[in-house]
Amino acid sequence: MKLVVKNLKKNFEKKEVLKDINFEFEKGKIYGLLGRNGAGKTTFFNCLNEDIDINEGEFYIEDNGSKRKMEAEDIGYVLSTPNVPEFLTAREFLKFFIDINKKRIKNEKTIDEYFDFMKIEEEDRDRLLKDYSHGMKNKMQMLVNIIANPNVLLLDEPLTSFDVVVAEEMKQMLREIKKDHIIIFSTHIMELALDLCDEIVILNKGVLEEVDKNNLDNEQFKNKIIEALKEE
Amino acid sequence: MIETFITSFKLQNTYRTNSIIYSLKQLPLIKRILPNSLYKNRGLKIFASIISILWEIINIFIGKILYILLMIFMALTWYHTNQADTFIHLFVFLTLAGGVLNTYMLNPTKDKYYAIILMNIDARKYGLSNYYYQLIKLVVGFLPFTILFGMIASVPLWIQIALPFFALAIKLIVMNYSIYDFKKTNKASNENIPTKFVWGFVAVCLVLAYGLPAINIVINQSIFLCVFIISIILGIYSLVKIHNFKDYRRMYKQVLTESNVYMQERKAGTQLIKDTSLKQIELDENYTSNKSGFAYFHDLFVKRHSKILTKAVKKQSVVILGLIIAMIIGISVNDTFKSKTNEILMVYLPYFVFIMYCINRSSSVTQAMFMNCDHSMLTYRIYRTPKVILGIFKERLKTLIKINLLPAVLMGGGLALLLYLSGGTDNPLNYAILFISIIAMSIFFSVHYLVMYYLLQPYNVSTEMKSSTYKVVQGLTYIVCWYMIQIQMPIFSFGIATIVFCIAYCLISLFSAYKYAPKTFKLRV
Repeated sequence: MKLVVKNLKKNFEKKEVLKDINFEFEKGKIYGLLGRNGAGKTTFFNCLNEDIDINEGEFYIEDNGSKRKMEAEDIGYVLSTPNVPEFLTAREFLKFFIDINKKRIKNEKTIDEYFDFMKIEEEDRDRLLKDYSHGMKNKMQMLVNIIANPNVLLLDEPLTSFDVVVAEEMKQMLREIKKDHIIIFSTHIMELALDLCDEIVILNKGVLEEVDKNNLDNEQFKNKIIEALKEE
Repeated sequence: MIETFITSFKLQNTYRTNSIIYSLKQLPLIKRILPNSLYKNRGLKIFASIISILWEIINIFIGKILYILLMIFMALTWYHTNQADTFIHLFVFLTLAGGVLNTYMLNPTKDKYYAIILMNIDARKYGLSNYYYQLIKLVVGFLPFTILFGMIASVPLWIQIALPFFALAIKLIVMNYSIYDFKKTNKASNENIPTKFVWGFVAVCLVLAYGLPAINIVINQSIFLCVFIISIILGIYSLVKIHNFKDYRRMYKQVLTESNVYMQERKAGTQLIKDTSLKQIELDENYTSNKSGFAYFHDLFVKRHSKILTKAVKKQSVVILGLIIAMIIGISVNDTFKSKTNEILMVYLPYFVFIMYCINRSSSVTQAMFMNCDHSMLTYRIYRTPKVILGIFKERLKTLIKINLLPAVLMGGGLALLLYLSGGTDNPLNYAILFISIIAMSIFFSVHYLVMYYLLQPYNVSTEMKSSTYKVVQGLTYIVCWYMIQIQMPIFSFGIATIVFCIAYCLISLFSAYKYAPKTFKLRV
């Protein structure tokens, strides 16, 4: 399965943020999306999530050679600022999410098993989400997106609010689930990208391009990425 | 201090200018023509800042003229007391009430928040210089009109001139008291949420202001002279104290919290706030739900927000009930009242469109839905699938209609009862039509607001209102309802027309919501 983006364009008035995006994201890989501040990473995600309309181009899922529209169920989007319904407890939120995704969830687990999987402590499970910390909300957001089991997971700076232990756990978790998903992971932290991602993709001047590692060692590869990002 | 003042004035002017340009860009059609680079267009900037300065100048006078004209001058005609003394009397007591309600200094405005909290400008210099500016504006604004209207009411010239300075002194005294209170308790209060004590004081002042002249008591000029001298002395003392107070920063830190400042914003209607009342979530172990899916989700939402959702409706119901009982009593004791009531009820049904518009809670309920729920949930793509959107829409529609139905039933039932008691009607069908058309109006507004919300979802992720179309629709709704006041029509024809219209509108709009909401119901970017 592939996510294919073809000639995608997005302008805000006269400013061309995404000029001509052409890319194929494959299942089983984690793509590290790097770009400078304001390069349009979030805009790109918003386009894929249909939060905003695109000006030109298309994107679709290609499965066994046949092409189909990317549906809401195909996509999970974890925002850098977590958004959770504050009036629910963590358990209620999960219950709701499992209810509405019932058909899609393969081998459904119990709610507590999901909490265990995400390492959310027993005593926190029945608290209102409004009293959760930033990092905890982020964990919940990540968890419901993973439960829904979407084919494409968009992660916008997802690990920055986690403490080092949790961040390590999350990385491990992403590696575990990546074989069934297309994961696109935007970040500013180069080490994280190099450590976690299988491919590095750079968004610069409205265009997406892959940076080939070839036979470079990590240091050389890093320099190559920085050079690519600096290009004016 | 003057430098700080100039800086703050420039700052204020800059964002006012930008707001003017921003509002221009919000207008439908025009926004397509105007580019973003507008913000740096010099000519336009100058134009906008001239408007902003003009506005500032007009602002000095317009409030004051309206205040003196409406609150004092027009009221003079009600009383048989000496005109000049009544003028002074009203001014003095209203000034006392105004003094505690608005100190300028403790009003949590956006410009203070920007300057002191965000830009870290010296709080004392900023606070004082702007305070003095406000006080000067107060005197300058009042003076022409105390002289003008004072002359018409034959107030002596020295009092015409003294009155603005009296107002000034009262402001100073109240502010000094606030500082004294802050020093003692370490608590600075947001003056836009007055305490019960303040409300009590204001109520007493209002009663004394408008009540005493009715029983032919007004303060005379020698009393005013005494009051004036005392307040000037206290005012000067207060001014020294205020000027020498050092701890403005700490005080402002308490007043200029985000929720206080955004509450101010809400009044202007430009942004929603997450202030405590709207964000109130009640967690109670008993609030659970045995439903599933979206019914479960919505059920918990309603239960946990029951206070925000139903508080106003309950109050309304009590008031409506009280009014109807009062009317019934009126009808049974007074025959002219009885026949008048009957006459009015028979032809003023259109008026109730406006009343139903005013009491309908749907607009604020949808706001609460957005702020406490959709604001976070809409970021989940799965929440925007047609199945989920329409499922929750259905649940919400039921709730919204239910919430608004209680006052509507009371109102409809009460009106029908009043019609019967006040002499009845030839056509018994009128009772049913009266009742049903009121219910129909209530359902109409519930459907209208919810459908508009789903079709135009006007807010972005930081709860700012982004859709000018939504504003236009809101405005149109208001105008149409307002227009209804002018119409007089018999219950029968207007009632039938209303019922038919409401049913047709509900069907069409529900149909469009089902068709288009899955596309339109998303966060604005």
